[in-house]
Amino acid sequence: MICYQCGCNLSEHDFCTSCGADVALYKKIIYISNRFYNEGLERANVRDLTGAIISLRQSLKFNKNNVEARNLLGLVYFETGEVVAALSEWVISKNLRPKKNIADDYIDMIQTNQNRLDIINQTIKKYNQALTYCNQDSLDLAVIQLKKVLSLNPRFIRAHQLLALLYINNEEWEKAKRELMKCIEIDTNNIATLRYLKEVDEMLLPEEGGKNPPKKRHKSDEVIKYQSGNETIIQPVNVKEGKGVTSLLNLGIGIIIGVAIAVFLILPARVQMARASIDEDLRRVSEQSDAKSATIDEQLLQINELTEENDNLQKDLQAYLGTDGTLKSVDSLMKAANAYLTEPEEVTVVADYLEEIERQSEEEETSNSEAFENLYNTLLALLGPSIAEAYYNDGYEAYRQENYEDAIPNLEKAFKYDATNGEALYNLANAYYRVGEEDKARTVYLQIIELFPGTEKASKSEAFLEEMGGED
Amino acid sequence: MINFEEELKKFHPSLEVEDAEEAIYNQDLTDMADLMVKIVKESESKKTGVE
Repeated sequence: MICYQCGCNLSEHDFCTSCGADVALYKKIIYISNRFYNEGLERANVRDLTGAIISLRQSLKFNKNNVEARNLLGLVYFETGEVVAALSEWVISKNLRPKKNIADDYIDMIQTNQNRLDIINQTIKKYNQALTYCNQDSLDLAVIQLKKVLSLNPRFIRAHQLLALLYINNEEWEKAKRELMKCIEIDTNNIATLRYLKEVDEMLLPEEGGKNPPKKRHKSDEVIKYQSGNETIIQPVNVKEGKGVTSLLNLGIGIIIGVAIAVFLILPARVQMARASIDEDLRRVSEQSDAKSATIDEQLLQINELTEENDNLQKDLQAYLGTDGTLKSVDSLMKAANAYLTEPEEVTVVADYLEEIERQSEEEETSNSEAFENLYNTLLALLGPSIAEAYYNDGYEAYRQENYEDAIPNLEKAFKYDATNGEALYNLANAYYRVGEEDKARTVYLQIIELFPGTEKASKSEAFLEEMGGED
Repeated sequence: MINFEEELKKFHPSLEVEDAEEAIYNQDLTDMADLMVKIVKESESKKTGVE
């Protein structure tokens, strides 16, 4: 402690040993300031921050140079979320004692971290905005804003209190209580917090501490008294005699109540459940039916597609059969070639194969390959005269024996394989004439006249035609 | 019963960081010790004037 007049250190005397000034009152002021500081420190230790602030402010009222009290006040402010107030106290403290002052550390802690400083600033601005919303009756916006504030600085007591007040105004007592309990955790003895909490508790438990429940009547007091001779009979109401009847009555009432509950409560519920179950089944069956219908439609579509595919395949098969026919023709041609190579003298066998090829070609109406046609024509050119001769010999022999039925086809084939064989054609015409097929005979005679003009056969044919014409 | 409007009036805007400097300058730092010194000086000057 130093003298307020000369600045020298004071002794235990009530005057300054240096300048002689009376320092008794000054010393008392300093002591009182220190006492308030101690009180503030104790209160801060038990988290009575409001009490601590009051004591520390008192301490500073007595001695503004009490740096410890000022630093502690700043710390308490900081704890309650009042960062600017805390900074103010620490800055003043630093000015009063520039060296060896813990306020330096506190200021550095805030100022060196720009991000933290920004958050502090944002928090304060949002809180002020929330307060503005409150004054403008935009309470919902205020609640949102305060929630943001508390997410940034969860120790901001005033924000908690304002939020709690808004909840109280909205009669959201549980939420208000939660906010107030957070306040209590930070500052145990805040007057506003305690006042709000009392209000909330009263709203949450309105009957607590209220009227006493009505006392039960003592049944034992209820008695029936009557006189029997000289004796007074006192009979309690709860006599055993009536118990059986009462029990039966109660049982009956119970049964009736049970039945009534079953009828009016359980049964409708069961019916409702059964209906729900039926509806569910119907829905499921309907869904299944729909699914099956869809499947049937799909299968019908598949059937149509398969039918169409089958038709296409049938067409392909027809084409294939055509190909097979071609193969048969080829087979016959190969057999004919083989027969000619192995037994060239058996020309009729080769002729049978060639006829078979011709017949198949006419039936199937298919076009053969160039190689096939070449081979066929070669065989026909090589064997045509021999075949014609063989057929002619057979036909002529049959004609001579007047077996015209056999003669006609052989002679037809003979002319077919050798178109120069006029004898075969003439004998064929005669055979037709002999069997009475005069139309065919006439046609063949005309053919002879046309193909072999100036020959004996032509003149004979003309004679036959005249004869036939004469008969007509 | 808490009156919301009345309670709301008790809440004041917080000082922002930019306003801290002004707040520090405007703070009245006069304490009891200052008052005592002032009183003592005044009484001493009165004594000197009387003499």
